[in-house]
Amino acid sequence: MKIPPFKEINPPDQLGYWTNKKTGEKYGGQYISPLLIPNLKKVEEGFKKAMKNKKFLAGLEEQLINHIGIVTPLLRSKELEDIVGGEKKIGKIFLKRTDLHHDSSHKPVSAFSSVYFAKHILKAKKIITETGASMNARAVASACAKLGLECEVHIGAVDSEKVSLNKDITELYGAKIIECHDSTKTLLPAMAAALRSWQNDPTAMYVVGSVCGPHPYPLMVRTFASIVGRITKIQMKNLTGRLPSTVFAVCGGGSNLNMISYPYYREKSVSIFGIESAGKGISSGKHAATLTSNAPIGILLGARSNVLMNDDGQIDESATEASGLDFSGTGPEICYMHSIGRIKFRATTDKEAQETFLMMCRRTGILPAIEACYVIHAALKEIKKRKNPKENHLIHLCGSGESNVTRMLKYKRENE
Amino acid sequence: MNKTFQKIFAKAKAENRSCFVAFVTGMDPDYESSKQILIELSKYCSVLEVGVSFNTSTSDSSIIMSANDRAIKSGARTEKIFQLIKEVKSEITSDTAFVTMGYLNQIHVYGIDKYIKDCKKSGVDGCIVVDSNNESPEDELIFKGLTKNDIAFIKLIAPTNDSAYIKQSLKKCSSWVYIVSYAGVTGSKDVNLENVKKLTKMIRKQSNIPIGVGFGVKTLEDVKKVSKLADLVVCGSNIVERIKEGSQNGLSGQNLAHFVSEYVINLAKGVKH
Repeated sequence: MKIPPFKEINPPDQLGYWTNKKTGEKYGGQYISPLLIPNLKKVEEGFKKAMKNKKFLAGLEEQLINHIGIVTPLLRSKELEDIVGGEKKIGKIFLKRTDLHHDSSHKPVSAFSSVYFAKHILKAKKIITETGASMNARAVASACAKLGLECEVHIGAVDSEKVSLNKDITELYGAKIIECHDSTKTLLPAMAAALRSWQNDPTAMYVVGSVCGPHPYPLMVRTFASIVGRITKIQMKNLTGRLPSTVFAVCGGGSNLNMISYPYYREKSVSIFGIESAGKGISSGKHAATLTSNAPIGILLGARSNVLMNDDGQIDESATEASGLDFSGTGPEICYMHSIGRIKFRATTDKEAQETFLMMCRRTGILPAIEACYVIHAALKEIKKRKNPKENHLIHLCGSGESNVTRMLKYKRENE
Repeated sequence: MNKTFQKIFAKAKAENRSCFVAFVTGMDPDYESSKQILIELSKYCSVLEVGVSFNTSTSDSSIIMSANDRAIKSGARTEKIFQLIKEVKSEITSDTAFVTMGYLNQIHVYGIDKYIKDCKKSGVDGCIVVDSNNESPEDELIFKGLTKNDIAFIKLIAPTNDSAYIKQSLKKCSSWVYIVSYAGVTGSKDVNLENVKKLTKMIRKQSNIPIGVGFGVKTLEDVKKVSKLADLVVCGSNIVERIKEGSQNGLSGQNLAHFVSEYVINLAKGVKH
């Protein structure tokens, strides 16, 4: 397959802001201590250079295809169609199987690209990153192992205590895992710790696990990751002869939504849906649904975006069964796309996602990551409502559920 | 230049010394103890830098992060910190300057205009906003608001910053500029005098603004050395550790304040030239 080159269709301004022209609200930017400004400038300049460097881009693409395996199937799922009434009622449903990537999730695309960039453009020897559920850590550690870079992973002590297959694999890949005992001892303080570590060691490169953080990270991560969206767009066209009617992806920080939906930003006939975790229900306050719950604009970890926080500006902890969605903010470009109404948001509760997990196992023979079940549930609901047999629906199945097996088996046994 | 800082610098010059700046997190470990600590320290320090806690700060060491946690647990909020500074100022007789140190999110949530207005009302003389990038629209608003109200905007300059960045920062500093002595987080390394010399030289090419130095100033010897190079010497993490130690030993209120000041009195001696 010939993958079309990246084309910038939604650029931020020079300072890294996406501005809603109607409201004047800005998303993104670079809010960071002066100590890190030079590090960010280096990444920014390097990224501009990289995107013009044909040798770099070709080398990266070859590795993404052959090592990460980014040309995954676009699977027509008649089983899911039947659940919501069949093809004659709702049209066709396609699953983009990024769960079949090397390291079993969408994460390795941006992680490998960032580490490859660090090695070949920045000539860095060490990578610093953070993790919650260790999916990002696993992907970064794997890339570092392959490319011969030192890898330092910051993880909250609470997250670290949880038994995690991904964390064990991260360790096997040779990463140095540093526990963070600050504040809530979860992903947010771990991110802050990673940034502080980068402040201590400016020769290293920081790799962020999502389309978050200060400029140029949101731009860089989505640009690298969007290769999956470009591939999917071609696959969809090959299979159906046209664009999809809808695109559904789950949204924590926003990287997997960004990667799959980016090529459709200007395709007005395509409806894009981001699905958040409503946790125990939005009204319970225990959720990770930044946009669905209308969280205010704040400045978190270097960028201006919607943030779960209290009225004093202290960041609230998110709560969800899906560790990969457990984040108190959302990437700035996604928040901007939400603000202009281009991406619509829905939220799925933990319980609904858990039930979808069991359904997927039984009805489709696929073991999805719990994260992907939030989107599948909401997509089926939306597709059923649309009731249009002429439509083709694209759902991003963004990860495999191996690391959810223990908890989900327990859930199954307790609830059946 | 802010009037309190004018007085402080004039006095320091007359006494042939630099100015000692002590950092504490506001309301660490609780409101009353923090108030007593600030009152007590005002006797020995030219400037008191009061941290406004943020639970997701990106530039503080674990020492300051823990202090933030303690303060937040004891009810620290932006308006409480203003109240604390106002009460302390009303009870002291010295010309000690008060500086708030915090992150942009809280100011943004509080409202930039309201923050500046409350700085003025509570007698704050200067503000440090760690993650306020020179180029952000918020930074411009803060700069204009503070300048209009004769409150110092104190910018941080790091060894890794280039001269263009320094120039940009200096344009917004009216009373003094804060040199970070090493690339790292507060209190994590020893003060780096070579960096300080290099940065001082770069700043002096562009401005005569007073220079403060912090990060890694831990001992009397450090204070003495830095004092020779700078107009203000900032000590933070070790004072915060002292507060933690005293508090863990069951001290609070004036007892804790005395325990902390014993340590600070000794350090502050180092500013004499």
